[in-house]
This record gives sequence, C-alpha cells and structure tokens, in this order.
Amino acid sequence: MTTYLIRRFFQMILVLFISAVATYALLNFAPGGPLQGLRQIQQTGRTTITEDDIARIRAYFELDLNLSVRFSRWLLGVPRGPLVIGGKEYFADLVVGCRKPIESEILDENGKYQIVVTGCKEVVYMKDLVGRRTSNGLIRADFGTSWRILRDRPVTDLIASRLPKTIQLIGIQTLLSLLIGIPLGIYSAVRQYSTFDYIFTTLAFMGSAMPTFFFGIIMILLFSILPKDAGWFYVPAGLSESVRNYTVPGLGEVIAGSFTDRVMHLILPVAVLTIVNVAGWSRFIRASMLEVMRQDYIRTARAKGLGEKVVILKHALRNALIPFVTIVVFTLPGLFSGAIITESIFAWPGMGRLYLLALGDYDYPVAMAIFFIIAVLTVIATLMRDILYTVVDPRIRLS
Amino acid sequence: MTASTQVAKLEAEAITIEERSPFQVVMMRFRRHKLAMISLGFIIFIFLVTALAPYIAKFKFDEVNVGNYFVPWGTVGEEGRVHYMGTDNIGRDYFSRLIYAGRISLTVAMLSVLISETLGIIVGAVSGFYGGWLDSVLMRFLEFMLTIPTLPLLLIISAMLLQNEDLIPIPEPLLNFLGKFLLLGPSAARNAILIIIVLAGFGWLSSAQLMRGTVLSLREQTFVEAARSLGASDVWIIMRHMIPNAMAPIIVDASLGLAGYVVAEAALAFLGFGIQDPIPTWGNMLSATQQFMLSKPWLPLVPGLPIFICSLAFNYIGDGLRDALDPRLKL
Repeated sequence: MTTYLIRRFFQMILVLFISAVATYALLNFAPGGPLQGLRQIQQTGRTTITEDDIARIRAYFELDLNLSVRFSRWLLGVPRGPLVIGGKEYFADLVVGCRKPIESEILDENGKYQIVVTGCKEVVYMKDLVGRRTSNGLIRADFGTSWRILRDRPVTDLIASRLPKTIQLIGIQTLLSLLIGIPLGIYSAVRQYSTFDYIFTTLAFMGSAMPTFFFGIIMILLFSILPKDAGWFYVPAGLSESVRNYTVPGLGEVIAGSFTDRVMHLILPVAVLTIVNVAGWSRFIRASMLEVMRQDYIRTARAKGLGEKVVILKHALRNALIPFVTIVVFTLPGLFSGAIITESIFAWPGMGRLYLLALGDYDYPVAMAIFFIIAVLTVIATLMRDILYTVVDPRIRLS
Repeated sequence: MTASTQVAKLEAEAITIEERSPFQVVMMRFRRHKLAMISLGFIIFIFLVTALAPYIAKFKFDEVNVGNYFVPWGTVGEEGRVHYMGTDNIGRDYFSRLIYAGRISLTVAMLSVLISETLGIIVGAVSGFYGGWLDSVLMRFLEFMLTIPTLPLLLIISAMLLQNEDLIPIPEPLLNFLGKFLLLGPSAARNAILIIIVLAGFGWLSSAQLMRGTVLSLREQTFVEAARSLGASDVWIIMRHMIPNAMAPIIVDASLGLAGYVVAEAALAFLGFGIQDPIPTWGNMLSATQQFMLSKPWLPLVPGLPIFICSLAFNYIGDGLRDALDPRLKL
C-alpha cells in the first residue's frame, strides 16, 4: 500500500507537470495573443506607436523572452537574473530573448503576405532580468498577475474572490443531491415495477439526457420570468445578489445583499445542478440496490426474520453504497467543469465564468491558473477514488 | 383434403422454425423496445427534414431581412415567403435557420462519432491484440488524457483554434466537399471541421478503452486459436474476427456517443467557443437568443427543444440497441 501510494504520488506530479506544459504551450505557441490588437493599431498609422513602445509592452507580457525561459519563470519563478555564487555572477551574458525582432513580410505560396520574424535587432541578456516583475512560480502557488481582467492584480486575489462562490454552489448542490438522490434510488429499487418506479426511471432518464444549458433556460422561464409577469411569487435569476431592493409577492420587500436576497439567488442555479445530479446518482443507487437485493445474504437476513427496514437499510444499502461512494468522489472534480455552464447561464460570479472570461479576453495567466487548479482537483479526486475502493471494498488490493 | 392430412400439415408447419439471420433477430428484439422505435422514427424524420433543407426552408440561413426584427410567427415576408417562426434579432428567418442548424449540428455529431469510433477501434484493437510495450504506452496515455478535466481543456483548445484558424492545415477538397454538403462556404466549413476535430480528438479515448477490453477477452477464445492454426495473419484475425465480434458494444457506444456529441457541440457553441454566429447551429442559436428571453421566450426554446429531443432519442436508441444486440451486455 505504501509503495503504491508513493508511486501514485509521483505519477500525480508527472500528470500535473505534463498538463501544465500542455496548457502553457497551447496558449503561448499559437500566434496572435495579447499583441494582436496592437499590431492592427500600428497598421492604421493614425496613432504613433514607436518601436520602443512595442518593446516595452512586449516586456510587460514577457513576450520578449524565449518560450522555455518564460515557462520556467511561470512554473518555478526562476531565472530572475544571473546566477550568483560567492559574489560572482554566472550566465550574465546568456541571451534569453529578443527585445526588438526584425519582422518582414513574405509572400507565401498562396499569394498571401505573412509577417515572419527573420532576425533580432536587440537581444535580452540574463542580466537584464534583474529587477523585472516576476511571480514566485506556480509551484509556490503564485500564478502571476492578471493581464486584462484586473490588470496587474495577482491572479490569486482574483481567484480567491471567485472560488468561495463556486464552492458554495457546489457544496450545497452535492449535499442536496445526496439527501434527495439516495432515498429516491432506494425507494425506486424497493418498489421495482411500481408506478412510482416507472415515473422515476423515465424522469431520471430524461434528466440525464437533458443539456444543462437548456434546462437552466427552462427553469428561468418557469420560475422567474412567467410568474413575475403574472404577479406571483417568483425567484430572481442572474448574479449572486441583487443590485437594488425588489419586492416579491408573498415575501415582501427584499433588501439587496441581505441573507434572504442571497438565498433567493442561490435557488435556481442550485436547483438545476441538483436535479441533473440527482438524475444520475439515484439511477446508479437504484441499479446498485437491485443488484444487492438479489444476493443470497439478503434472503438469509429475511429468513432470519429481520424486519424489512433493517434488511434494506442495514444489509442492502450498506453494500449498495460501496460503488456509489467512488462514483460520488469521482464526480466532484467534474462539478467544477459542470459549474462552468451553469454559472454562465445564471451569470453566477464564480470560477467557471472567470475562466470563460479569461479565455475570451486573452488573459492567459488567469486561464492557466484556473485550468491548473481544476487539474489538481481532478488528479487528487482520482487518487482518492482509487484509495476509497480499497477502504470500502477490502476484496480489492492495490499493488 | 382430409382432416388428418390437414392436421399433419399444421403440425409440420408448427415444427419448422423459420430461419432468421442475426440481423433479423436483432431487428425483432429492437422492435420490442417501443420508445427506441419512436425515437428512431423521430430521428429519421429530422434527418429527412434537414436533408431537404434547401427545399423546405424558404430563406437562406444568413439572409437578413433589414428592418424586420422579431416579426411574429406566420408573417408573410419578401416575395410572399412566409416566416413560419418569425425572424430573430437581426431579421433572419428563424425557421430556415433552425433547419439549416439541424443539418450542421447533426453532421458535426455524426462525423465526430465516425472519426472517434474508427480511431478508437483501430487503437483499441491493436493495443489489446498485441499487448506489450505498445499497449502500456497507449494505455498510460489514455489514463493521462482521462485525468485531465475535459470541458476546460476543450474550451482552451477550441478558443485557440478559433483564434488561429490556419493552425491546422485542412485540404482544400475536403473543405469544398463538406462545404457543399453543409451548404456553407469553405471558411465556414473550416470552422465546422475544427469543432469536429476538437470533439473527436477527445471522444476516441473512451471507445479505444472499450474496444481494448473486448479484444482482450476475445483474444483468448478458441476461434481465434483456430484461425491462427489455419495460418491466418494478424491483420486477417483483427479484421475478420476481432472487429466483427466487438461490434455490438461499439454500436451501442456510437449511438450513445451521438447524443453526447449533439449536446457537447451545443454546449461549446453556447459558451461561445463553438461554431460561430452567421453559421447556424442549435447551440449558437440558443446562446444568441438567450438575452431576449424576457420578452420573447420562444426564441431560445425553439432551438433548445431539438437538442434535448435528439439527445433523448439517441439515448433511447442506444438503450434499445443494447437490449437487442446482447441482453447481458452492460456498459
């Protein structure tokens, strides 16, 4: 077990490292990026952007450094300048990038002009890196500073302001899904082929086929827009709290930012996430219960004269929960990705929306940080699932 | 004819069992699943409608009727053509867009399934059949890909590809062919192909795992040994024995995959990283009209409904196929 854990730990680090490299390469290899707009301004020629301006802006985005140097600074926070050993500087004249590239237009074979970097007018040496703004590196949980969304503010601040909102959403919905899904699954399995079971299985099947974004829109329509127009009790949709006070029939005036207000705004997104989750989880519990109920030890328990309640809750449910635990653990990281869609429907100010915003806005440090956090959570959850397998089911040995 | 000969004839008829091909058996079992049959009928209907899109839709999907924004259902527009479902926020006929969107959404889903299942079958079969270092390298790679959260990665990749459309070179004839089929220009077809690449690029992982598992169990069967002792080559065994025998779970997986791809394509479009606006898909019609929900709630509902129904129908068909192909099969 210990060797297994150690091996898995190193595997985890490797997976995280590869995904960090992959995202970094994906976002930085591709042409375009934050300088695209600048080039267009330069081409119109009305504003005068000198070469030095561009060099300064390139330095701001660290685009004047080689990709490997940039990546190392992002991941590890080094190099920050020449290596100093015993008062002596090493590698001070090592070329680490290009401050002013020579760009020339070249006619390619399709007859289009393309801008190609053909040389370098002024290079960046290692000693120039001294005093430059830099992050402490990803491994020290410093994700650098935001480029666009909140310019120059640390990404960590940005995420810290959004993460609680997402966790709130996910926490409440997980709890509710468990509280609703497990009893539903049990009841449906115990009363197999009853009317309840038929209705339940049909609804659960539809629920798991329903795309979240469409479901969210229907919910907004049914519980927010239509009742509000009709002058009935309605639930506000969008954002996590209201900007100004509003009156809801049957509840009176709701003060913006109050507890009631925040609860009211939680209802719809939580309901959408919960219903989709309950559909999947209770179907699983039902199948797993049906499997267990056929076992011999259930018949034995009944033959001993145990009450139906004890048989179901103590003998059947406990065994049916074994595979379910692993399913739940494994869906947890998926919830962060799932919340991207729900947050975007309800304009919920969480991490998912921040991620979309960052991707659309070329704010790569933010996008990479969020992707990395989600990747870490996924990898940890995968490991937890594998360990839980052995805890809940001693028949499985890890080696 | 005497009574006794009649009885004898009846008995003889009762004894002779009509011989059925495996296909007939599967069809018979499939027909028993009523919801799957209804779903199949519905899907065929949608396919017909979208295949005949240029004849059914009176307007082109990007034809803007300037000034006539949000006209109500059934308004008669230019040249006596009827806007069956009115127009959208910039005056494009909603019904025509819906039909063209179906053609694009379904084609994207079908091609994604085709590519991902083919890739999955090849990789899974080779990996499961040969084993060894190739197998362990491929499986480690699959495990790695499956630990990465899919949706965020899909979003990054499609954001990247959409911003730099020339990053992946796509041969001109393919663009023209698909463009003609989807009734789109080459640059719009490129957009669709990029999304197919993104979707299929992730989809083949799970089908490869499925195929590998099936091939692993088939490899030990006696008929494979028999084929080998008759001097069959590896390629022959894989092509003639492994793949046909592993088809049942793959077909079920493909049909459930169709449901997944219809939703995934719509989700990408909904989040703004899918096929882009002038080209209609159900997903981007939904996302474009979501903001008008307060006053015109049917605008997002109309494209959302076919996404849901198609997803449900493909799921039911997959369910029915699973029961029909192999009653013991569990996915």
